[in-house]
Amino acid sequence: MLPVLNNADSLAYFWPEMILTAGAMGVFLFDLAVAKSPRRILWLTVASLGVLAAAALATSHVAGLSPTPIGLFNGLLVLDPWAVFFKYLSWAVTALAILIAGPSLEVASERMGEYCALLLAVAVGMSLMASSTDMLMMVIGVELVSMVSYALAGFKKHDRKSSEAALKYVVYGGVASGMMLFGMSYLYGLLGTTNLVGTAARMNAQAAMLAQAGVAASVAGAGRVAMVVAVVLVLSGVGYKIASVPWHMWCPDVYEGAPTPFTAFLSVGPKAAGFALAVRILYGAMSVSGGADLATAVADVPWPQVVGVIAGLTMTVGNFAALNQTNLKRMLAYSSIAHAGYILMGVAAASETGSQSVALYLVVYLFMNLGAFLVVGIVGRLSGSESIFEYRGLSARAPFAAVAFAVFLFSLTGLPPLAGFVGKFHLFKALVDRGGSWQITLAIVGLLNSAVSLYYYARIVKAMFLDKPHTEERIAVPASYNLLLGALVGLVLVFGVYFDGLRQLAGSSVVLFGHS
Amino acid sequence: MDLLCHVRDFVLAAAEGAGEAAKHGEGAAREAALGVQAFKRVGYLWLIPFFPMVGAIVNAVVGARLQKRFGKSVVTNLAIGAMAAAFVTAAVAFVDLVGQPEHERLLVNHLWNMFTAGDVQANLTFALDPLSMMMVLIITFIGALIHVYSVGYMAEDPDTWRFFAYLNLFVFSMLLLVMGDNFVLMFFGWEGVGLCSYLLIGFWYKDIDKAKAAVKAFVTNRIGDFGFVLGLFLLFWALGGQWEKRSVIPPHESRWALADPAHLYEARAEAGTTYVADPTLSPQTPPATYAEVEKLATPEGWRPGASIATRDGGKVRVGPTLSFRELRDQIAVESTGVKNRLTGLTFFGMPLLALVGILLFVGATAKSAQIPLYVWLPDAMAGPTPVSALIHAATMVTAGVYMVARLNFLFALSTTAMTVIACTGAATALFAASIGFVQNDIKKVLAYSTVSQLGFMFIGVGVGAYWAGTYHLLTHAFFKACLFLGSGSVILGCHHEQDMRKMGGLKKYMPLTEKTYLYACIAISGFPLANGFFSKDEILWKAFDAGNNLADPALGKVIWLVGWVTALGTAFYMWRSYYLTFTGEYRGGHGAHESGDAHGHHGGLPHESPRSMTWVLAALAVGCFLTIFLGLWGPAGVEPVLERWLEPVLAPSHALVAARGAHEGPLAEWLLMAASVAVAFGGWAAARALYKDAKSTVPATLAAKYPRLHRWVLDKYYVDEAYRKTVLAAIWAGAKACDLFDRVVVDGAVNAAAAVGRFVCDVDGAIDKYLVDGAVNFVADGALGFGRALRRVQTGRLEHYLYAAVAGALAVVLLTFLVQ
Repeated sequence: MLPVLNNADSLAYFWPEMILTAGAMGVFLFDLAVAKSPRRILWLTVASLGVLAAAALATSHVAGLSPTPIGLFNGLLVLDPWAVFFKYLSWAVTALAILIAGPSLEVASERMGEYCALLLAVAVGMSLMASSTDMLMMVIGVELVSMVSYALAGFKKHDRKSSEAALKYVVYGGVASGMMLFGMSYLYGLLGTTNLVGTAARMNAQAAMLAQAGVAASVAGAGRVAMVVAVVLVLSGVGYKIASVPWHMWCPDVYEGAPTPFTAFLSVGPKAAGFALAVRILYGAMSVSGGADLATAVADVPWPQVVGVIAGLTMTVGNFAALNQTNLKRMLAYSSIAHAGYILMGVAAASETGSQSVALYLVVYLFMNLGAFLVVGIVGRLSGSESIFEYRGLSARAPFAAVAFAVFLFSLTGLPPLAGFVGKFHLFKALVDRGGSWQITLAIVGLLNSAVSLYYYARIVKAMFLDKPHTEERIAVPASYNLLLGALVGLVLVFGVYFDGLRQLAGSSVVLFGHS
Repeated sequence: MDLLCHVRDFVLAAAEGAGEAAKHGEGAAREAALGVQAFKRVGYLWLIPFFPMVGAIVNAVVGARLQKRFGKSVVTNLAIGAMAAAFVTAAVAFVDLVGQPEHERLLVNHLWNMFTAGDVQANLTFALDPLSMMMVLIITFIGALIHVYSVGYMAEDPDTWRFFAYLNLFVFSMLLLVMGDNFVLMFFGWEGVGLCSYLLIGFWYKDIDKAKAAVKAFVTNRIGDFGFVLGLFLLFWALGGQWEKRSVIPPHESRWALADPAHLYEARAEAGTTYVADPTLSPQTPPATYAEVEKLATPEGWRPGASIATRDGGKVRVGPTLSFRELRDQIAVESTGVKNRLTGLTFFGMPLLALVGILLFVGATAKSAQIPLYVWLPDAMAGPTPVSALIHAATMVTAGVYMVARLNFLFALSTTAMTVIACTGAATALFAASIGFVQNDIKKVLAYSTVSQLGFMFIGVGVGAYWAGTYHLLTHAFFKACLFLGSGSVILGCHHEQDMRKMGGLKKYMPLTEKTYLYACIAISGFPLANGFFSKDEILWKAFDAGNNLADPALGKVIWLVGWVTALGTAFYMWRSYYLTFTGEYRGGHGAHESGDAHGHHGGLPHESPRSMTWVLAALAVGCFLTIFLGLWGPAGVEPVLERWLEPVLAPSHALVAARGAHEGPLAEWLLMAASVAVAFGGWAAARALYKDAKSTVPATLAAKYPRLHRWVLDKYYVDEAYRKTVLAAIWAGAKACDLFDRVVVDGAVNAAAAVGRFVCDVDGAIDKYLVDGAVNFVADGALGFGRALRRVQTGRLEHYLYAAVAGALAVVLLTFLVQ
């Protein structure tokens, strides 16, 4: 019997989220207190980072409370290494998004408090997504992240693109949530519970029952269709969060319209939480351990193959659509779609090493993608434009930013000795270790896609280093941005060579509550 | 000589550790069966390559700015500081190593696992045993000296920061090569030094000839690397390596957290199975044959991590490995049966070990400039002279010798490979020496002499005298660095003149340079007053005594004869260079550099180099003397210090080589030694008679009498030309054929397809004219077109997005039934 705590006892394990919720409120109030201060941005940034630091400390505290995975709130949430890993990741990406927003001109100084408080609320949502085992809780987590994100996407009130982005996001998100809820209602009908722990056994029992003699073929067929439809619709909700084909179309428009610091956040944070959820549902709940460390799919729903096909489509569509983009934010949006495809390879591997490679890749992706958006923010800060035209001759106008951008882009391509290579290597390795014919095919598709992606990444590098700038004016880069860039470049370089610790960290976090 | 023996005993005692008297009769311990190599884990070895790496990075990234703002001294001091720190750390490691019991002298510093794929496990692990310790001390000590020397030599060059960044990078790579505990790290270093060599030969890249020399060095080395890698693959395959993962590891053991070898070697093996090869563990039981071990180990063959218990309670991990220590254990510990397996294996009918040895040696012929891939080294003299001294004499070019000595347990198993190595070495030694006879460029003489001396080293390691070859590596590092730096000093003093015909009489102008050059000449020509005699003589003696270590017992004698003649030639051409350069009258063109030269204020006369350079020369000359004591033989039964020091490394091959030796008596040894001294005197006397003070007319007469022979040798036997006509011509022809194929067949096919496509399109009325582009453009356009199409799907209209989302979900449902 798995240990599950009641509501009162669970509170002792819920400190991080409680701190963040209180912190979000507190930042709103603090905003009023420092409203007149000329250094309000600094104060708000410090306060928000303080809240996140407290949450991180609380996370390590609660993680230490129970050595084994434990269920909370009567099974709505869990506390296991997988959840803890993604909590840390969420705090980190939130902190970086707040740091980026400070000097950015897109987040007006008088609205900084609002921005920070809303981001802290999203962080709570991401944490809930990563740690829920109950379908209801999952919906709440996803909705919390989505709702606040809608507001943040439309943060530039008088900007048409920003408002358009917010509106599209709301409607699209609403439909996607609806599809997910619809699927969940089916699943509840079929399995008799909203809790996902033990789903594999229930699905197997269901399949066995339908396969019994005496059950009419039509009934059995309908039962199977219902199961498949339910699973696919639930996946639509997750697919919308991670922006995978065919639920990716909101992504370029929203990324383009949203303020750049939030776009940076959106491309990493909710995506990571979505992957945490995907692995928890698919690998954690819908598979049982097969031989060795590999899991096998259950009950007539061949989700590894389906996810594999989606992964191949996602990376292909993302990369090819990115080829023609001239707007950097749109291009990076498609690039982030492509990366969702790569990471899905790790999910499709349906193995422990696959999940490990997903976790590992998300950490690497956090550094390189946030870094790339940071440079976009730096260039956009001066010119207000994200056109590739602005990047011509950037090496002369902002040399450090140009070099850093080149490092991030090559890392995104997956060239050694950068961190992106390490991440991709492990994704491919997880898939190839699995060894079937479609897995190998998918790996080859992934490799070809990497080659395609080099084209549009290298195009920017070419523009930055070989083309003549349209103006000689130097781009002033705030010192804090330079520091941040330096730190991110350093991490990308270091993890490109030394990644043993990261790998072990990712490996030890693949412990999911209820997965046997 | 009595005094020398006393000093020698002192050095010996120091090496043995405090107060421990020299032990006699070590032979008995050697004959006993070899056990598993014991080692000590330490945590600081990474610092040794780390310092030069930091120096290289800092100078590469901010060196230009530092130099501009604070002057050159910051850049140079940084580089020298890094070298000094590396040397001090190496010295600490040396003390640590000496403190270990003799047969446990191995320090291992495991950092992390770089990657694991199939059976290939690449670790970032550094190891120091007596052999690599010796190399590290040479590299850091002579490297540091040459850094100091370069400050003076490169004083006028504006790109000082770049030079020192390259130099530090080279030292880093070289340290990686010798300190890596596995083939992967060694290969990283192997490629790294090749890259640095390329960068430094072409340091003055604006001169097209120098750039060409750099490319030649790089390309020649790549050819060798190809052989080296093939050898590695073959060896790995022979040990049972395969790409596929074998599903024998229990689930909880496959966690990557365990990929740390510290756990892996033990934990994985224990979680798998430990197989006792010799169940009774009694000395009387004959060791298990390979077949038995295999049967015990697994039904399908070796598994990664399976280990075999040895009689003395050790454990050997069998199976494919890249680690030198594990490979040594597998081969050296008889009861694993690996040795039997390897010697029995054939590859397409050829004995596998011979093939592996020869392929690895192909890599060595390029790196260490042996026939047939020696051609790059003379051209490499285009680089700055300190580079020639450090890379192309003292360290990098000896990497091949180091590799053979490191793998002595492997090479000793195949007399075919040994024969190939020894014969190539002998042929190269003689061949290169003969070219050295007539060269007029002082650096070219030294370059050919280096090739020739490397040949000697390969004779040594080829006949199984690994310690003698290694000793010659060490002595050569000192005297050749001294000669090269001396020549650099001369070149600088003579205003960048390298032609010895335009020198002469420099004794007067450059007294210290002359003295050190003289002593280094004594060393290389084999007078028993300096280190060169002792190492060369030991090699020649071991070659004479090779016996059955070579394919034919008579071969050893022939190689000895070739070496002996080469020694005569060496003495002759080195003394020739000395007399041409330093005696007689200065023949340089007065005022040759009248305008715009930094030396202009000296007028046209040569001048002594700055102290930072001459002191380095003096230090190296002293080194030439002191290293005598490492190889000096003592009273009967006591081996030279270096032989004893290297003994633990060479133990696996020792008994085998000794058993196959010819065992000539001591009389023969003394006679040969006398013969060696005689040729040294002979060469010297001949050179003195012909070249001293440039008085004799005989050389000119001889050259005039045999103009074709002279021309032939002067032009290096036209090997470069022959290569151009054969190898390069073949490559060019191949390239042209590919080009032709590309243009005629591929383009033709593409164009034909395009034409057909156009025809079809025309007929169809459908217009798709983009097919006419070439194949590459077609793919690119196709990709871009696909992208555009995708963009068109992205209409920007929300309702379309939502249709797509729902339709997509439906498609996925259908897909689920499809993939079933």
